[in-house]
Amino acid sequence: MVGTPVFLIAIPLLAAFLIPLIGMIWKESVRIIPGLVLAYMTVLSASLYLFILENGTYVETIAGWQAPWGIDLVFSPLTGLLATIMTFMGFIVWLYSYRFKSNVEFEAAKKYFIFLMLLVAGSVGIVITGDIFNQFVFIEIVGISAYALTAFYTGRNSAEAAFKYLIMGSLSASALLIAIIIVYAQLGTLNMAEIAANIDQMNVHYRIIAMIFFIIGIGVEAEIFPLNGWAPDAYTEAPGPVGGAFSGIVVKAGIYAMVRMMFTLFDISGPMKILIVIGLVTLIVAETSALRQEKLKRMLAYSSIGQMGLVLVAFGMGTKAGVFAALFLMLNHAIIKPLLFLSGSFLTFNTTEKYISQITGMAKKMPVVSVLFALGALAISGLPPFSGFWSKLSVLTAAADENLMLIIALVLIISVIEIVYYFRVINRLFFFEYDESVSVKPHKPGFNGMIALFILAGLILLIGFYPASVTGYLDLAADDLLNTHQYIDKVLQLGQSIIQ
Amino acid sequence: MKKAIVIFFLAVFGYFMAITFLSPEFEADRNRNGVKDFYLEKTVSDLKTANTVTAIVVNFRGFDTLGEVTVLFLAATALGSILFKKRHHIGERTVLYPASTIVGSGAKLIFPAIILLGAYVFIHGHLTPGGGFQGGTIIATGFLLMLISYRNFSISHNILSVIESLAGILFVVFGFMGLIYGGSFLENFMGTGILNDLFSGGVIPVIYILVGFKVAAELTGLIYTILHEKG
Repeated sequence: MVGTPVFLIAIPLLAAFLIPLIGMIWKESVRIIPGLVLAYMTVLSASLYLFILENGTYVETIAGWQAPWGIDLVFSPLTGLLATIMTFMGFIVWLYSYRFKSNVEFEAAKKYFIFLMLLVAGSVGIVITGDIFNQFVFIEIVGISAYALTAFYTGRNSAEAAFKYLIMGSLSASALLIAIIIVYAQLGTLNMAEIAANIDQMNVHYRIIAMIFFIIGIGVEAEIFPLNGWAPDAYTEAPGPVGGAFSGIVVKAGIYAMVRMMFTLFDISGPMKILIVIGLVTLIVAETSALRQEKLKRMLAYSSIGQMGLVLVAFGMGTKAGVFAALFLMLNHAIIKPLLFLSGSFLTFNTTEKYISQITGMAKKMPVVSVLFALGALAISGLPPFSGFWSKLSVLTAAADENLMLIIALVLIISVIEIVYYFRVINRLFFFEYDESVSVKPHKPGFNGMIALFILAGLILLIGFYPASVTGYLDLAADDLLNTHQYIDKVLQLGQSIIQ
Repeated sequence: MKKAIVIFFLAVFGYFMAITFLSPEFEADRNRNGVKDFYLEKTVSDLKTANTVTAIVVNFRGFDTLGEVTVLFLAATALGSILFKKRHHIGERTVLYPASTIVGSGAKLIFPAIILLGAYVFIHGHLTPGGGFQGGTIIATGFLLMLISYRNFSISHNILSVIESLAGILFVVFGFMGLIYGGSFLENFMGTGILNDLFSGGVIPVIYILVGFKVAAELTGLIYTILHEKG
């Protein structure tokens, strides 16, 4: 073994504290060290994931106190899968932005890479922790890194976007803290497994109010409908790779926190399909808004919110097939949306407004990037033979199993809307003449950026042609999420030690 | 229609809020099964730490504290990066009026005392109320007093950043030493000594002193950055 789950948190924090020191002596280190750390996290996460697939869920205790008393990290088929996806996407985003920021000053680059690294570390922390207050701390870490990354360009618009995000994020964090206080006052514990085991003892009114506060608290990171006002602005104003990191990493962590809360903490399986309602509203509002956007990144942001709505709908079904479909959607979205953001930010590199009309005819100047963007667009709107097709198909079959015909109809209508707005962009890219007066100057994409794009495109094709390469893992993860009893049993006993 | 929906949701929310906050069972012992008894018992028997709050903050939930220290570090770094381009040079800043002589002379007198108090609070964090966060904040107020009293009082940003980096690194290193010598991250691997001694509690006072240094350096840096912001 190369480490235990705690290394996924401790090593990035150590590196974040080290970088200012080493940066004083060797300036290039501020770019290289985060990459090494993210690569290490990816390797560690993947090897731990393979380890737990053989040996069962691994629960790590912190500070020597066993689960209900101390903090524990749970590395299960579900959390391991998500942690692996997140660390890998973090590495891809780093690879893309390694040279992307070569023109900015040393101080700004140092901060950019520290924030990016802690954004990934915090998101991984949200996923692998087994303690609600610890999760709150990681949500804070992710939040502050995200506000700072949004404000990276220190302009008027980015300051506004970051401020909006900051206000919403802090208010929601307070709501989350209130929820945690209510739960602690009732049950006297902060451990997720212990709460899940004792949730019946909680007065039903307290349970409902705590759940409302939890939804408000986590909803901002998960981008559910009334709480996602920050997202379009933040995605538009943040640097391109950061948009990819938000959609590929942060939102996944938010969705995980939401789902863990709903499925494990407050067992809501039953007639109250609250997640379906939240998800459907988010889906419809976001996709119809995306249709009207004039700016490329804003459109992608709304599309990202819409996809998260679809994920919540699939989770909300509460069945094995539904959870499987939701996880498949999350995996695909984590790969495709960063591809769209990264290639999109190459296309609109030389403009600050990033209007869709400004990339008219760009395919003649930047054919490879345009083809990759089109690949991402086709994949996310669910056309075969790309990966998005399989996840959308699995949502439809899961809904059909449950006889939720309205959802099937809505998902199909939404898919048409998605195709309309993505094809509008593709049409402009490929079938319009390049016009100096309208379009921006093409930017020569960097070598490392292209490698990142090709890796993502390769994954899309791989999953598209061989969906069986991932479905096995997703199946195990879905089982893991639905099996609350197993989670409680695993956490409340001491896990085996893997350090020996 | 929109208003009706909003009012409906607010009414539902208000109903549950009212029930939650109007019926706190004050007499009942609500935390029967909670973790509190275990903490109270183990703090004295295992950790030999007089201040239970410190034991919880640094040992039982030390991982949260590491996270909170990181949050503070991130906030300080973020503020520095947002205000990075518009910074005054030493000596010119946003304070409009010079401090009066009384404030100036008083500040010189009281500054060492504030630093001493801060150091006392975080060194005795495991014995008396207070600790790294509180002590660090007290030290930062001392620097704030000096900064508003003397226009040309300056602190080297490099030194502050070295202090905060070293404190953070040592915090994580002590965590890893717990993993190596104790078996889990942040475990108390040092001898715990005798209850109520200055040198007791094993790794707890060491980590809290590091937190004190880190918080002091970060808050001082924050104050310095804000004071030198261009209006």
